[in-house]
Parts: sequence; C-alpha cells; structure tokens
Amino acid sequence: MKIRLGLSVAAFLWFGVLASLAQESTPSDTRSVWDGVYTSEQSQRGQSAYADTCQSCHGDTLKGAGEAPALSGPAFLNNWSGLPLGDLYERIRRSMPQDNPARATRLQKIDILAYILSFNKFPAGKTELPHQPELLKQIRFEATRSDANK
Amino acid sequence: MRRGKWISWHRTACIAVSLAAFTMPLFAQYHPKDTEWPTYAADLAGTRYRPLDQINASNFNDLEVAWRIKTDSFGNRPEYKLEGTPLMVNGVLYATAGTRRAAVAIDAETGEFLWVHGEHEGARGAAAPRQLSGRGLAYWSDGKEERIFYITPGYRLVCLNAKTGVPVPTFGENGIVDLKLNDDQDIFPDLTTGEIGIHATPIVAKDTVIVGAAFREGFTPVSYRNNKGYVRGFDVRTGKRLWIFHTIPKKGEFGYDTWLNGSAEYTGNTGVWTQITVDEELGLVYLPVESPTGDFYGGHRPGNDLFGESLVCVDLKTGERKWHFQLVHHPLWDMDISSAPILADITVNGQNIKAVAQPSKQGFLYVFDRVTGKPVWPIEERPVEKGSVPGEWYSPTQPFPTKPPAYSRNGVSIDELIDFTPELRKQAESIVSRYHLGPIFTPPVESKPEGPLATLGLGTADGGTNWPGGSYDPETHIAYLFACNSCLEPVGLVRPPKGFSDMNFVYGTAGQEVRMISAAGTNSSADAPKPVKKAKTDEWLSLNVEGLALIKPPYGTISAISLDKGEIVWQIAHGETPDLVRNHPALKGLQIPRTGQQTWNVGTLVTKTLVIAGDGQVTTTASHPRGAMLRAYDKATGKEVGAVYMPAPESGSPMTYMLNGKQYIVIAVSGGTYSGEYIAYTLPSD
Repeated sequence: MKIRLGLSVAAFLWFGVLASLAQESTPSDTRSVWDGVYTSEQSQRGQSAYADTCQSCHGDTLKGAGEAPALSGPAFLNNWSGLPLGDLYERIRRSMPQDNPARATRLQKIDILAYILSFNKFPAGKTELPHQPELLKQIRFEATRSDANK
Repeated sequence: MRRGKWISWHRTACIAVSLAAFTMPLFAQYHPKDTEWPTYAADLAGTRYRPLDQINASNFNDLEVAWRIKTDSFGNRPEYKLEGTPLMVNGVLYATAGTRRAAVAIDAETGEFLWVHGEHEGARGAAAPRQLSGRGLAYWSDGKEERIFYITPGYRLVCLNAKTGVPVPTFGENGIVDLKLNDDQDIFPDLTTGEIGIHATPIVAKDTVIVGAAFREGFTPVSYRNNKGYVRGFDVRTGKRLWIFHTIPKKGEFGYDTWLNGSAEYTGNTGVWTQITVDEELGLVYLPVESPTGDFYGGHRPGNDLFGESLVCVDLKTGERKWHFQLVHHPLWDMDISSAPILADITVNGQNIKAVAQPSKQGFLYVFDRVTGKPVWPIEERPVEKGSVPGEWYSPTQPFPTKPPAYSRNGVSIDELIDFTPELRKQAESIVSRYHLGPIFTPPVESKPEGPLATLGLGTADGGTNWPGGSYDPETHIAYLFACNSCLEPVGLVRPPKGFSDMNFVYGTAGQEVRMISAAGTNSSADAPKPVKKAKTDEWLSLNVEGLALIKPPYGTISAISLDKGEIVWQIAHGETPDLVRNHPALKGLQIPRTGQQTWNVGTLVTKTLVIAGDGQVTTTASHPRGAMLRAYDKATGKEVGAVYMPAPESGSPMTYMLNGKQYIVIAVSGGTYSGEYIAYTLPSD
C-alpha cells in the first residue's frame, strides 16, 4: 500500500478542524431539531434522493437491514442525541453511500438529512436546512423535546 | 487490480520489521499458549476464553489506555463499522482494518506498526457483497515459518509472511488463491461482479485453511437463482484445494431430494458466512450454514432445503459430511446460523460428553454430542402455524430444544410490549394491531394495506445472538451469551414490480414503493425499470412509541448457561439505560431498572474470573461523558464489578493476552461520528 503523505497530513489537519468545530458548536442559544429546521418540500426531495441512494441498504422504513444500521428508532436516536446535526451530516457526507460517497451530491445529502428528520417525526418549519457546515453545527440533534423547546 | 501499490510500503515495512527483530524474542516450535490469542475466537473451539486474572474485579476500574490505532488511513475513506478481533502471537498483534480491509501487524506492547498489506481490487472490490474491514484473519506456523491468511472483499485468499507482510510466492498464484475459481460452479455473471464474498475470517486447522462464503442481504433477491455458498479446504502451504462441501447438494448427493422440483439446481446462497469451529483432535469441522436464496420467501425452493440453516459436521481432511442437524426446516425467518459453534466437554447426569453448543438468533442454545450429532437433551418436532402466502411451501413442524430454555425472546405477544405507563402500552397496542403476532416460527404474511402489514418477529433477522457469538468457560462448563432481546423485524411480503425480480414475493410493505434491498445503486441506472408507484399509507410505519422501543426491557442481555445442567444460571441486562429512556419526558419520576441496550454487535470475553463486554450504544451520564463503557461482570454471579470508558460503542468483540508480565484487553470501537479504532487497555505500571 502506497503511503500518500500529503493526503494523510491534509486528512489530519481536516480532522483537527472538525474536532475544533465540534468543540465550538454548542452555544446555549443553539436551535434543536425540534425547532422546525427543515421544510416539507425539502424532506420530499430528500425522500426521493433517499429512495435512489439509501433505501437499498437502510430499507423503506429506515429501520436498517442486516449490516446497515437503523436511521430511525431508539438505537438511532440514542446514538446521535446530544450532538450537533452537522456531525450527522458529516458522517453522511464522508461515508455514504458506502459503495461510492460521490454518487449523491452535497445538497442531495442535506435533503436526505431533512427526510431522516421528517421520518423521525421532528417537525418541519419554514426554512430549509442550511448546507453550510458551520450553520448545521449550530443545530442540536435531541431525541426528546426539552422543556425549553416546548 | 493494482498489485504494485503496496510494494513501496513493504520496502519501508521490511526495514521496520528488521529493526523490531532485534528486540523481539526468537520463537521456537510454535505451540498455542493460553497467554496468546492465535485465532479469531481465542481457539478453534470458539470459546473466547483465556484463563488470565491479572485484570480482575479489584482493579478493572484502574485500566488505562496502553495504545490506540485509528484505522482511517487504511482505505480511501474512514470506516465506522470496525468489527475485527485481532490475533496476538509472539508479541505481534495482527488485524484487518479500514475500508481497504488491510492486514496489519502491530507491536502488541507499544502499538507501533510493523507492516501493512492492502489489495487494490478495483471494480471487483467495489462490487463485493461484503465490504469494509471484515472480522480479521488467521495465523499458521509450523515452528519455522509463520503465515497470515485473510480474505479480501473481492473474495481472494491472501497468504502473507507473518514477519514481513509480503505475499508468500509459493502459495497459490504469487500468494493469492482466487476464491471465485475452482468452486464447482461458474460464478455468475462474471468474476468481477459475480456475487460472492465473505467478511468472516478464514480458519486454519492443522494444515488446512477453511473458507466459507457470503452474499448480499437476502431480503429482496433479484432472482431465485444465485451463486451457491460452498465451503472449501485449502492446503496451507500451497493453496491447493483439498476438498469442497456442497452446502446445497448436487444431484446424487445426500440431501438433494430435500429440494423439490429440482430446486437445488438453481437455488443459491446457503453459505457459511460466520465463523467456523474445528476439533483438531477429532478431525471434525463444524459448519454453521445460513438461509437459502430468499430470506423470507421459499416458494421457489419447496422442501426442507438441506443444508440450509443446518449445523453440519464434516471431516477436516476430506470435507465429507459426518452428521448434520437442521435447526429450521424450509427456512423463512432469516434464522441464519450466525455465530461460531462452541465446543464444550461437559458432564450431564454423570456422563462425559464431547458436545458442541450452537447459539442462535432465535435464542435457543442447541447442544449436541459433537461426535454423533445426537442432541444432548431432546429436540422435539412440534407443529407450527401454516402460512397462506401464495406459492409458499410450509414445513408442518419445526425443532424445539427442551433444554436449555430460550435465553432471549423469540416471538411477539402483547405481553412483550412497552409497559412503562398505561398510555405507552395503549399506543403500542394500537401500532401492533396492524400486524400479525405470534410465537417463534409464526410465518411471514402477504402484506395488505388493511392489515396485516407484516408478521412482527423477534429472534429472526437481527435477534438473539448474531455474528459476535458467545463465550465458554471450559473449567465451569458455562456459556456466556449476549442477545438482542428487542430487535424487532416486521416481515411482510409483496409481489415485486415487473422487472425488479423473478421472485414471486419479496420483502416489503403494502402501500410502500418496492425497492430492492440488495446492493447500493441497484436499479438506479437510466436503463432500469421505473419503480411502480403505489398509494402511500397514511403515515410512515414507525415501530416506536414516542421514540421508545415498542418492546419492553430488557433490550439486550447476557446469559450464563450451564451446559452440564441445561439451565440458565444468571441473566442480566447489558448496557447502560439509554439516554432516551433516562431523559424521556413521558417517563419522568419513574424508577426504571437498567434496561440494557438494543444492539446485536456485542461479543463477550471470558477470563479466569470475569465476563467482559462493551456497551453497544453511547450514553451520557453523571459518571461519564458521552461514550460507552467496557464492563466487567463477576462470571459466577453476573454482578458488575467494574467499567472503563470507551469513546464509542463496542463494534468488534474484545480479546486479551499477556505480554512481558502485563495483561492487555484490545477492543474495536466505532459508530456514529466515531470512525474505527482498536484500543488496548492495561493496568498502570506504577
């Protein structure tokens, strides 16, 4: 296996940037997924993109199948609750679909994220999910609606 | 395929190894030591047991990280599903890692890399049905030479010099045997895209390398015809094929007539995708076989379908069948035999028995005399519900072990539904009213919009014990088994839209658009037939109640089962209560005992005094930041005696070894935002 030192260094720096973003992205006034952070239209676009890109592994009810983990339900909610929504987006952006992450565009992946939120019964709102990572980092993924957000 | 890619790396690696050789002890004739971990499951008996006790109840909480290896760079993107269990022999730790499924050698004391080998397989690797880093590799030595074996995603058996990581030129063709060849079948449609692969490890027993086969998920096959998952043995020195076992018998072979209408000719799958167990002394191999083509519909393969979902014992030298036991006749529930059989020398009613115990998704631990195949306790054929899916063939009876009792749920009734509050139970009852419920072996239904949408199953696809398997203490004769006790699988069948599949029925839900669950990208090209749009159901089909599991706790358990008595000695909920349960507004004020966690990736490790396993989900509690805990239980009682922090859930089963006076525990963690990492824990030196 050939070592690509330049790429490794770049990847290392990028991880550093991600890590620092993660640490900086939890101000007390951030929004959560309960605050209507996507639109119905966006989730509908996402549903179509999900069907083309994700459904073959994760299934039509987002419960996962075999080796593909669930994108809905308790295990999914537990694993992502408390994190910035940008972290979930980054995971999708970098590694999905598994066979070829370039097969869906960045914007399609944002739409798919909106569909996942919609499927998990987080409410739709009037503005679309932003595609800028720094803005997605300011939205918290919370499994349950906190009192402050009721 | 680009073979030249790793050459420059090996030049570097060889230097590293040469330097390391000065500090590593010279080894004499190799004999597996119980301070090492020379195979995936510690030994060929599948025990995951080592009699070490430096790490024990009194000091488990003191464990600290000795070293850690991120696997991101072993591939062109990170992996979030690192499932490997490393080996440790002669002070060197061997593992597979990364999206490349690289083989790596690491100094087991310091975590320093010694060498790396990766195969660039191009389109063949990209088309592989089982990708990512796999479960690990196999080690062999004759006392002079040491070799490492692993199987690439593209289904090629690679033989490496364990000291250098360089392919052994005298094995196969320049160190590689193409497993898509010489398989008593022509892999369809071609060697590049033909569906067959594996992510279990090869098994080396005496001088034979044994290899199974895996396929895509069998929920929605594109055809009732598929490649077959035969098992083969290869010469460890030359790579020459020594034997083959036809998991779907050929005409004239035993079991062919259990496939009616000649369906053995075209049915595929029926592979051994999980770990294989061997008794070297008896010269017997134990093969846990998966489902035939079509996990939930068998109308194209009428009959009992041997050796689908059977435990098969074959001769190590010839591959000849000695005995078999079919756990499920005419499989319809995806009850693949999913983990390594466990060899256990037990004493039942004063009689010594060389036994083999098979954990299962359905929560039964099947125990046999491993020489004769006779059940240690009676396994009764009992009548089961006959289904009504058009064209399906049903077995009127199924085997039910009388001992030990089921160690995890394997059917769904109203009593199993969430009951934290009457309101939550009411919601759950409303949800399941649209489904068909019943005990184990309740057959799938044809999905109808007015109901039933599906049969709700527990102990099917993802239930009970999956690929991580169990552990066994050969001193106390107790098996330790993690099980998912709440992994629901709704199984509805629908007729596939024209052009999608030649199956009569595939997995799906009435009112939902049928999509193949086969491989990412299937049917997405411009030439693919357009999906048939159906009327949407009025709401999405959520099997959760306000985000909570439909099934009540415990969500995941560890059971200790005496194989002398056939009884459950203790059973505990494994894993911290999920944040969702602890913080849920509907559960405020309720005192809820530890629930365990809904996951099926957890494997256990047994030492002299402890059972050790990691959490399968992350939590954030007052005592630890967001992360998961590696837990130790008193193996006699199940009482938790210690826990150490991991940054992510257990995704590969833990292993242990002693080196230079210190005991180590190594575990693979990954999931969510956390990419794959092997972490080694040990006690502080001061």
